[in-house]
Amino acid sequence: MAQQKQYYRRKKVCKFCVERIDTINYKDVKLLSQFVPERAKIMPRRISGVCTPHQRLLAAAIKKARNIALLPFATE
Amino acid sequence: MRNYEIMFIVNPNIQEEEIDKVNTQIEGIVTAGGGKVEKLEKMGKRRLAYMIDKFRDGSYVLFTLSANGEIVKEIERRLRVMDVVIKYITVRTDDDTKRLDKIKAHRQKRAARRGANQKSAPAEQTAEEY
Repeated sequence: MAQQKQYYRRKKVCKFCVERIDTINYKDVKLLSQFVPERAKIMPRRISGVCTPHQRLLAAAIKKARNIALLPFATE
Repeated sequence: MRNYEIMFIVNPNIQEEEIDKVNTQIEGIVTAGGGKVEKLEKMGKRRLAYMIDKFRDGSYVLFTLSANGEIVKEIERRLRVMDVVIKYITVRTDDDTKRLDKIKAHRQKRAARRGANQKSAPAEQTAEEY
């Protein structure tokens, strides 16, 4: 069973590395909202597969976007 | 001189002229301090992600400018004072553009190197940015 599961799991890749997105801008709500699930929390790396440097930029961008009400802090 | 972006949200119920008034005021501060307004964009009305001062919507305005700390400080002070402005954010952008230029240069260099010895083409697999 465990073996089978391992067989199916494919390696996650960082979206930003693959698509060569260099700047993660806080105004790009469409992009950022892919990384904030329903509860409006920042999606962890282990789920999204984003690499560490990009996750860091992403988190900063999301926080800026929250500050100016482009993204929610929490869903009501 | 550094590059900044100032984005602020204006009360959605006021007239267009009021927004223009705010904008000209800010422009005045920037030019008086020796800076330059590179771009001014009215992004129009948008739904806010959360309520601010009992507002659900807001008109967004985005300034891109080259200025120094003092100018930005003065603008922020003004924005705080103005009643029609409900929220603002200032972001420094020159660090970011610098980083981007570095990446671009790096990539170009790599591409040039790859062009020089063509047989090492499959090195492409590692799509690392840094």
